[in-house]
Amino acid sequence: MSSTLPSSSASARACAIPGTPLAQAMPGLDSCVHCGFCLQACPTYLALHDENDSPRGRLVLMRALVEGDVSLDDPDVHAHIDRCLGCRGCETACPSGVPYGQLLEATRATLAMRRPLPLIARLILGTFARPWALGAALALARLARALGLPRLLAALPGRLGFAFAMLRATERPLGEAPYTPTGDGSRGTVAVLHGCVMQGLFAATNRATERVLGVNDYRLVVATDEGCCGALHAHAGDVDAARRLARRNIAAFEQSGADLVAVNASGCGAMMKEYGHLLHDDPAWSARAAALAARVRDVSELLVAAGPRRGGPLALHVTYDAPCHLVHAQRIATAPLAVLSAIPELRLTPLADADQCCGGAGIYNLVEAETSDAVLTPKLARISETGAALVATGNPGCLMQVGGGLLRAGSTTRVLHPVDLLDASYAARVPNADP
Amino acid sequence: MAMTRDALVQALAAIVGVRQVLQRPSELLVYASDGLPGYRKQPSLAVFPRSRDEVVAVVRLLARERMAFVPRGAGTGLSGGALADGVVLLGLNRLTRVLSIDAENRLAVVEPGVVNVHLTRAVAPLGLHYAPDPSSQAACTIGGNVAENAGGPHCLKYGVTLNHVVALTVILPDGEIVTLGSSDGEVDGYDLLGAFVGSEGCFGVALDATVRLTRNPQAVRTLLADFTSLDAAACATSAIIAAGIVPAALEMMDQPTIRAVEASIYAAGYPVDAAAVLLIEIDGLQAGIDEDVVRLQAICLEGGAREVRVARDEQERTRLWQGRKKAFGAMGRVSSHLVVQDAVIPRTRLPDVLRSIAAIGEREGLTVCNVFHAGDGNLHPNIPYNANDPDESARVHRAMQAIMQTCVDAGGSVTGEHGIGLDKLDYMSLIFSPESLDAMCRLRAVFDPDQRANPGKVVPIHACREWSQTAVLR
Ligand SMILES: Cc1cc2nc3c(=O)[nH]c(=O)nc-3n(C[C@H](O)[C@H](O)[C@H](O)COP(=O)(O)OP(=O)(O)OC[C@H]3O[C@@H](n4cnc5c(N)ncnc54)[C@H](O)[C@@H]3O)c2cc1C
Ligand code: SF4
Ligand code: SF4
Repeated sequence: MSSTLPSSSASARACAIPGTPLAQAMPGLDSCVHCGFCLQACPTYLALHDENDSPRGRLVLMRALVEGDVSLDDPDVHAHIDRCLGCRGCETACPSGVPYGQLLEATRATLAMRRPLPLIARLILGTFARPWALGAALALARLARALGLPRLLAALPGRLGFAFAMLRATERPLGEAPYTPTGDGSRGTVAVLHGCVMQGLFAATNRATERVLGVNDYRLVVATDEGCCGALHAHAGDVDAARRLARRNIAAFEQSGADLVAVNASGCGAMMKEYGHLLHDDPAWSARAAALAARVRDVSELLVAAGPRRGGPLALHVTYDAPCHLVHAQRIATAPLAVLSAIPELRLTPLADADQCCGGAGIYNLVEAETSDAVLTPKLARISETGAALVATGNPGCLMQVGGGLLRAGSTTRVLHPVDLLDASYAARVPNADP
Repeated sequence: MAMTRDALVQALAAIVGVRQVLQRPSELLVYASDGLPGYRKQPSLAVFPRSRDEVVAVVRLLARERMAFVPRGAGTGLSGGALADGVVLLGLNRLTRVLSIDAENRLAVVEPGVVNVHLTRAVAPLGLHYAPDPSSQAACTIGGNVAENAGGPHCLKYGVTLNHVVALTVILPDGEIVTLGSSDGEVDGYDLLGAFVGSEGCFGVALDATVRLTRNPQAVRTLLADFTSLDAAACATSAIIAAGIVPAALEMMDQPTIRAVEASIYAAGYPVDAAAVLLIEIDGLQAGIDEDVVRLQAICLEGGAREVRVARDEQERTRLWQGRKKAFGAMGRVSSHLVVQDAVIPRTRLPDVLRSIAAIGEREGLTVCNVFHAGDGNLHPNIPYNANDPDESARVHRAMQAIMQTCVDAGGSVTGEHGIGLDKLDYMSLIFSPESLDAMCRLRAVFDPDQRANPGKVVPIHACREWSQTAVLR
């Protein structure tokens, strides 16, 4: 009887790119057994039906880079890695625990050593890395919004029109009615990440976040000089910028003295929970980064830990779309639904395939427009099937992508953050502090 | 004269569009493997038709040019069946439509690229499901299931793929389209449908399949019995069958498997200190089902089970099954490489064969993870190992051979459901006589006289008298 043992031993081969981030991440690659369970969880595979655009296929390409079967400037490798949304839907499908998100970032950082990012990506990332530039850009965006420009320009063809539709989607469907939170602060101190886009375009949601946490017995403290979390940079392979931004936030939240850091943008929460990994080889910061990361919570986690308290009735028809960086990266699936169910009379219709990416994915919708649209289309169809008037989702990128898509499709359905709904419910009737 | 590669690429692109033809080595890498990545065979190019008409046009073009090809579904096969060694790979994964559902006659017509579980999802609102449920059902295609005659946990009671396919439209390698079987179940002449199901892509390409749908049972009960020895679990399996109960499914997992699952995202709440668990499901009419639960519990407890738990609700049941179905994948975390085995033995021999396998593992200093369809004696001893360690690889090799020999000696067969493909070619002469192998070759010649469909698979070429002289077409 001759051999039936596969002659694999692929990783016995010498590493072709020693010292690169990808080479260091190699052990993660080894845990892929090639079972294919991730294929149907991958939005780009479902849209394109090419395994090169699936998790299993991208992992094969990563391995081929390490083993020298393809070179670091192979255009096919760049194309398929670029086309990955980074949604990490593959991680929650993978029985073997392949750390896909980390492998993707390591691959992008390795590829970026060879090829500069596309101009548009560099422009956007450069803006986000500089507080003054980002401040100016967001102020301009707010001005345009105040002047009603997005309403006029959202119908423009192509990406420009989509960008204005996204901006228009940041207009609040519900008014803001401030009230004085009644909680007793007994659950400890919390500092809220105001961030960049959230503070620039969704400042009311940041205020709502503080109010609803206050109602639920958290004592709010303010962190000064916090800002962009660096997620966009890390995902694109610009690790240095991501680390700079991370250090700034770590220092800011340490100074605030808060027990916990509340994040209402799930992309940022996922990033901040990984600060330990991002700075693991920085001796001055690794311990501080890990300690801060352990204190980061999504706002829905904090609310669910506290109940949350029930507010006044809101007779609205709502559906919930799960942000990838909440459900796949942070593995938080039910907490936002629990938050919504604390609102009397709110009608919640489940969204089919809610855990599938919407195609927003940071700046993906601007740099990979065609695939982004292909991923968005089924999402809009599922939303329309629910008949809901509002889509709740806890991430600015998703709010803008889904909201912009709905506007462009002529839908009357609007988007908002789950916290905005809870806040409106509390505004209708502020719960009593005693349970 | 044969077409040049460039001309072929152009001709294919004219049929399916440029994007649907892959030809650069870097884009073909991922298609060099299926679910058994130890084997790598790079196709010369890969083509992905988007419709049945395009499949037909592609197969006819290849027939005209006398070119060999290999069909591929989702590439979850575990025998290297979908690998194309320097020939054209024909992807069927874009043909994903459920063409029709006939609830009254409980039939559905599907394209070959429909993912198994998607069919069940599509008919769920009608109270129906597609019964063959390979553990890979969330990924594998109906076309691949037909080609491998796939089984699954619930095939113990409901039968394998063959029992659920009533008709197939097939394009033969020469381009002729034929219908095998019929949707009313009446067939004149030979049962060619039965020959095609399980033919591993060697007889042509399934263009659509008419499959039987099964009514969801009125009542289901799922039990998890937890044993402190593998032996006791095996004996309990035999006792259940001997008692005349036909479970819908009866699966066994041993401790290394349980631990891999419990460490994964599909953690199901299996007891990590158990030597083995049995996952038992019974279904049928509401009346009497709870008496059967009591009987099963008694048999397991008598057989030495520490505890027998009954799933309280659908959610817990799903969790118990997800753990089982993702168990193979979960083993990836144990070590960097994994060999998968598939063998069938007479059920009565289960306890002693498992004992022998354990002894083989011990002798070679290896961990054998057993996760398998105990109810029908279909074993899957899997061994995680490190292929970079030549000594360990050699021990794995020896252990695999010894395990297969044990199964064959026990009156078993070398594959239960994963097929022969490339992986099991060498075992064929272990269980079949030269005459039987030759008969297989002659059957194949009826469908594919030029051996252009999935060349080099299933039957070792040297066993075919007529073909052993001629080289495989490229
Ligand atoms: C985690 C895991 C668990 C598994 N569990 C089971 C199990 O419980 N039971 C079981 O039986 N198998 C199991 N398998 C094996 C595998 O999933 C099955 O063999 C499945 O039927 C393969 O389907 P596929 O679409 O992936 O086919 P592929 O792997 O792509 O192809 C398999 C074979 O089918 C041929 N083929 C594909 N499509 C067509 C077509 N349209 N016409 C003609 N030939 C075609 C190919 O040429 C090849 O020979 C498992 C695999 C994995 C990875
Ligand atoms: S991160 Fe998302 S897009 Fe990228 S491979 Fe995973 S599932 Fe696919
Ligand atoms: S599910 Fe995980 S182990 Fe399976 S192929 Fe995908 S990444 Fe690899």
